[in-house]
Amino acid sequence: MKFQLRSLMAGASLLVLATAAVAQDNVLQAEDSYFTAAKAELARKIADQPNVGRAKNVVLFVVDGLSVPTITAARIYEGQSRGVDGESNVLSFEELLPYTALSKTYTHDSQVADSAPTATAIVSGVKSLNGTIGVTQQVKVEDCASQKGAEVTTLFELAETAGLSTGIISTARITHATPAATYAKVAGRDWEADKDLPEEAVRNGCKDIAAQLVDWPAGDGFEVVLGGGRGNFMLESQQDPEDETRTGARKDRDLIAEWKARHNDGAYVWNKQEFDAVDPAGTGKLLGLFNASHMQYEADREKDAGGEPSLAEMSVKAIDMLSKNENGYVLMIEGGRVDHAHHAGNAARALTDTVAVAEAVKAVYGKVDPAETLIILTADHSHVFSIAGYPARNNPILGIAGQGDDGKPYTTLGYMNGPGARLDEPRADLTGVDTTDLDFLQQALVPLGESETHAGDDVAIFAQGPWAHLFHGVVEQNLIYHVMEHATGLASRAALATSQAAK
Amino acid sequence: MNRRALLTASLLMPLLPRGALAAPEALKFRDLYVRGRQLTPRAAALAGQEVTMIGYMAPPLKPEIDFFVLTKLPMSTCPFCETEAQWPDDIVLALTDHPVRPVRYTDLIRATGIFETGFQTDPETGFISFLRLRGTRYEKL
Repeated sequence: MKFQLRSLMAGASLLVLATAAVAQDNVLQAEDSYFTAAKAELARKIADQPNVGRAKNVVLFVVDGLSVPTITAARIYEGQSRGVDGESNVLSFEELLPYTALSKTYTHDSQVADSAPTATAIVSGVKSLNGTIGVTQQVKVEDCASQKGAEVTTLFELAETAGLSTGIISTARITHATPAATYAKVAGRDWEADKDLPEEAVRNGCKDIAAQLVDWPAGDGFEVVLGGGRGNFMLESQQDPEDETRTGARKDRDLIAEWKARHNDGAYVWNKQEFDAVDPAGTGKLLGLFNASHMQYEADREKDAGGEPSLAEMSVKAIDMLSKNENGYVLMIEGGRVDHAHHAGNAARALTDTVAVAEAVKAVYGKVDPAETLIILTADHSHVFSIAGYPARNNPILGIAGQGDDGKPYTTLGYMNGPGARLDEPRADLTGVDTTDLDFLQQALVPLGESETHAGDDVAIFAQGPWAHLFHGVVEQNLIYHVMEHATGLASRAALATSQAAK
Repeated sequence: MNRRALLTASLLMPLLPRGALAAPEALKFRDLYVRGRQLTPRAAALAGQEVTMIGYMAPPLKPEIDFFVLTKLPMSTCPFCETEAQWPDDIVLALTDHPVRPVRYTDLIRATGIFETGFQTDPETGFISFLRLRGTRYEKL
């Protein structure tokens, strides 16, 4: 009855809106192309019906450092790269994931977040401390002993307990903060390999992140793990297969060998050729570690020695693997290096990596049933990146916007701080400089040579599928977990599975 | 010309090899490799010749040292993304005839020297290099 009443009310609202839409035809600008396009968009929104079914699957895209200006600039860049109008261009996720909200990214202890507690907020529903993963604000940073009693349960752990399949993909190291938040509990985000553990952590029995991935006790473990960070799974005595000058990072435990020994139906791959050869139908579990550290930026991917799959290719393979489970799946896909390019003050690579994420969203949408799959795309935090000046429509987004009072040109894209600032010297004269070059570093105000910083402004959430309409307004970042859990009912399903197993 | 630039210029001028008057070939970082360590035909063909590369000087290992690492992007150890210095794949060892006068690692420089290819281990430092510029002179841009 309640639902019927809501439907009736929705019908009444439709009438009001439809009347308003007809009334707009009396205006002088009724034939203007902008006017008619927006009117068509209004009609689509009126026809839109919220999906209140249960989500069988969840695909969570986390694009590290994807600030709103990065989305705008990538949209323009992608359009201009295809030779079409950039400003009115639409990235795949803007079109396919129509429900949006703004996410407040502050953490329990910081105005400006790092990627560790923000990932915890997204997959576990709590705000925590910068520098920590998979623990509440009760923990002390870098203090292993304080972890006891502060650990959280993640959506991925609930999914495994409830009998769903799970997967994580990242173009960064798979032990890096964002993917690690799905499985690891650490008071120090840098504890990626055992060599990184401080003496106190060793003494009190804390485990490094790579070991926690292989030993993850949830259900039967991840079905799909694809990313970088191979070194954290290899011994110092082992030479990297792709780079003869590198060795593994571990003092103890050959984690790749251990993973292989545990999963007779599993496939371990480290290059594109091996990845392409994996048959999802005949493979129970897939571990792909494509680089000793982070995977390549999309702009540099084709030059990788061993060859790396794209984010879209990894996503499609993962869904082929995970969708074999009739109970459904939960998959995180991280575009991990938009953040790194911003830290380097290099907008071109941040934009090309964002476009790679858009391609992955399109590929995923084409593989799933959108009606039963909640797809979310969000960022963990922002960056001090801006789109400035009054450049003319269709001006190259990596180009010059105008001239400063110092008589020197300035670029449309720039940073508040970072490597692009000179130390106690006037800014460089960009006259004659090709600012559209892939390696060009945008100018910055405050010199921070080692790394441009994150920013504290809100980031966007895009979503489609069951209960995606709950994403509206300005929300706390940790709401994302709660919507995913509500849409899937995973907490109660996991509890039921646990009680049945105990009988 | 400020004092530092004057000093740099006075240091470098006597070191110009005779062939330097002919414009050296400009070689970009992105033109070094086809894939992995497979050199592009152009990069391979330039071995033994004088080339100019634009990049950044990674902070020298110690004072009074006669080499530096030329990098495509400023060599940084990002506090939010790295637990240790991760050397990128495409770096060039720039060997100088005199102690290096460091420039800030975010300052773009133009480095010119004889281009060498192939693995080599420095007997003193143990530093392994694959690409080198020998007799490097450099200027801040």
